[in-house]
Amino acid sequence: MPGDLALPAVDADATFGAERVAEAERYERFFFVLWALAQVALFATLFLYARKGASFTRESAAGPIGTGMLLGMLGLAIAWLVGLPFGLAALWWARRHDQEETGYLGWLLDDWTLLAAQFAAVCLALLVVMGLARRLGERWWLPGAGVFVGIAALFTFVAPYLDFTTEPLRDEALLAAAERYEGELGLEGLPLRVVEVSDHTDQANAYAYGLGPSRRVVFWDTMLAAPFSQPEQKVVLAHELAHHSEDHLPEGIAWFALFAVPGAWILMRATRARGGMGAPEAVPVALLVVAVLQLASAPAASAISRRMEAEADWQALRVTHDPAALEGLMVGFSETSLGDPDPPRWTQLLLGTHPTLEDRVAMARAWAEREAAAVPAPGP
Amino acid sequence: MAGTFEARARPVRLVVRDDDLKRTRLTVLFRLLLAVPVLVWAALWGITAVVVAFANWLAVLIQGEVPDSLHDFVAGYVRYTTQVSAYLYLAADPYPWFRGQEGYPVDVEIDPPGQQSRWSGLFRLLLALPALALTAALGGGLSFGSSSASSGSTQGGTEGFWSAGASAGGAASVAAFLAWFYILVRGRTSRGARDLVAYALGYAVQAFGYLFLLTGRYPTSDPVLAEPYSELPEHPVRLVVTDDLGRSRITVLFRLLLAVPHLVWITLWSVAAVFAAIAAWLAGLARGRVPLALHRFLSAYVRYAVHVQAYLFVVGRRFPGFTGRPGSYGIDLEIEPPARQSRWTIGFRAVLALPALILAGALGGVAFVVGFLGWWYALIAGRMPEGLRNLGATCIRYQEQASAYLLLLTKRYPYAAPVLEGRQALEEPSAPDLGDAT
Repeated sequence: MPGDLALPAVDADATFGAERVAEAERYERFFFVLWALAQVALFATLFLYARKGASFTRESAAGPIGTGMLLGMLGLAIAWLVGLPFGLAALWWARRHDQEETGYLGWLLDDWTLLAAQFAAVCLALLVVMGLARRLGERWWLPGAGVFVGIAALFTFVAPYLDFTTEPLRDEALLAAAERYEGELGLEGLPLRVVEVSDHTDQANAYAYGLGPSRRVVFWDTMLAAPFSQPEQKVVLAHELAHHSEDHLPEGIAWFALFAVPGAWILMRATRARGGMGAPEAVPVALLVVAVLQLASAPAASAISRRMEAEADWQALRVTHDPAALEGLMVGFSETSLGDPDPPRWTQLLLGTHPTLEDRVAMARAWAEREAAAVPAPGP
Repeated sequence: MAGTFEARARPVRLVVRDDDLKRTRLTVLFRLLLAVPVLVWAALWGITAVVVAFANWLAVLIQGEVPDSLHDFVAGYVRYTTQVSAYLYLAADPYPWFRGQEGYPVDVEIDPPGQQSRWSGLFRLLLALPALALTAALGGGLSFGSSSASSGSTQGGTEGFWSAGASAGGAASVAAFLAWFYILVRGRTSRGARDLVAYALGYAVQAFGYLFLLTGRYPTSDPVLAEPYSELPEHPVRLVVTDDLGRSRITVLFRLLLAVPHLVWITLWSVAAVFAAIAAWLAGLARGRVPLALHRFLSAYVRYAVHVQAYLFVVGRRFPGFTGRPGSYGIDLEIEPPARQSRWTIGFRAVLALPALILAGALGGVAFVVGFLGWWYALIAGRMPEGLRNLGATCIRYQEQASAYLLLLTKRYPYAAPVLEGRQALEEPSAPDLGDAT
């Protein structure tokens, strides 16, 4: 993406439709308020848990690491309980705007299952951290960060092999386009797959994941249906392939490493008063510290993500030569996902993992202008 | 065993009288067919009993007490169906005939009617649901409905729905099924199986006595009820319960998820245990004794399984450790060091263990119901009912005794009677036996 790229101003009302923009603003405002309230509730809960949570050690007959696991899971469980009303409110709002078809009970079961996965993850994390801390004392943070980076890389690598919910893409036109784009992007034969989500949502999405030989691109089936046209689907395809050609996933792991090292050091320092990470009593404090670190690093993480997404958009424009399709795609997203084309600045700063829809349209127009300028004018 | 042992003073109680455990092979062979006439009769009686039970319900709502005549009619029916069930489930040998017999080996005593709360009477059916669910899992509460008529009965009428599961795989049904083969071979029933069936009948009697408003007292599942007629012989694999009954509500609410790391760990450990068991089997065949290292490893595995099960089913209070260390948990297993075993029983251990594993599966169903009911109770009350906890503990004990037998940790067969404490057996068993104490 050119460093001197200046995005032109976009009239959101004219591009997306004034009525839709107003509706999207209303729709997303509710989520932003809900998110802010949920954060307040979460931090209040974790603060209280950091103060009182150590008393749950009496509910454990396990050793220090097992007890730490119990305290970690209980912290997550309590946070989940506190967040439940907000989650249900968000579901109610999404259902009210036809953005979600999942029932409340189904959602609850899904969320419960997700919590089980979080429990497994926190147990693994605590096993690593507490095991190292008990062996190395306060020096655990450096190898600990290394282990987490390793786990992140391993998970990124194996995740595609563990996903049994997708099927191969069978759209001949998209497959042919993929072959062409891959040639231009320096890729070869990445698997393209589809996951069915249309039974519970109308929202559309696609993603790239995997590392090295496990790299692949997955489309939600909603992305391959109306209102998205084939050129728009091709832009999405090119965008996701570009994530791989630009090595965004390894880069993401590298960024994670950059955050993990100081994060682990801060964790070590913050839990020192509770006996350090080798002691189970430190785990409730550690949960609070991790939550604070996540929130504090959110602007930087979001900015990195936005930059990668912008790069992928630019590459997609470069290989498809179809700025109109990208613009149409963004208009489609505003329709299917009720995305606010120009959300409040603070939300974009904290939560915006992608450029705003308005900025992405602006990029499409900027690319078109550059292309037009690059073509020599016909002679007299 | 001589003498009469009555259950603790409950208004509805099972009585197990003299039983030398001998059974007539011929009547056992045709037991199901022989029971058909009494089952039909009990079904007809059951229809009337349900109508009378409804009258009992109205009487409790109006005057807070059931009239003597109505009480006696339903009590007679409950008593009769218990005798029929005991006959069908091989817990008794004499034919029960067509009315409740005095002095039948497995009998019921029911106190005269007393005052009952109108509120509890009004919601009796709802309140009885947990007890009926446990009855179904224990396999004692069978109905006379067409689907379960072939399996036997204790109670009749509209309870068929609740009882259907019991006829399919309740612990008592499974125990009776296994005892049928055992008796045909040996001419006597297994003590443990008889005691398990009697316990299940005893609980069912209480549950239906409560449902039919014969008493306002809620049934207890405490295995202490079975202690008067059960024996708990010395066994190389023993359950030790030192846990308290208090439960932290938050850990109860998330109990299933909190067990996730343990479930993952025990799955991995099970893979290693399979290989260790094969090695122990080969070593046992060669030396007639399992090497100490393998015995220790498999003992820790079985002990850890007890800890995890106890935690999962709310039988245990605290989050267990991951090593299966002896004495580290409130519901623990003591396993004696390796002893010499017959090479023949080692060679055919998997086959010999099959009946015990089948019964362990049925008791696993009971433990699941205990966990489900205990979860709700502990969530509300912040404690586990002692009776339910103890029943869960005995189910776990049998399951892990079966595992220990399979994994060659002991030559002793698991013991099925659902008691934590009992009168000591008079003599040691001499051969693998279906939960037999003597």
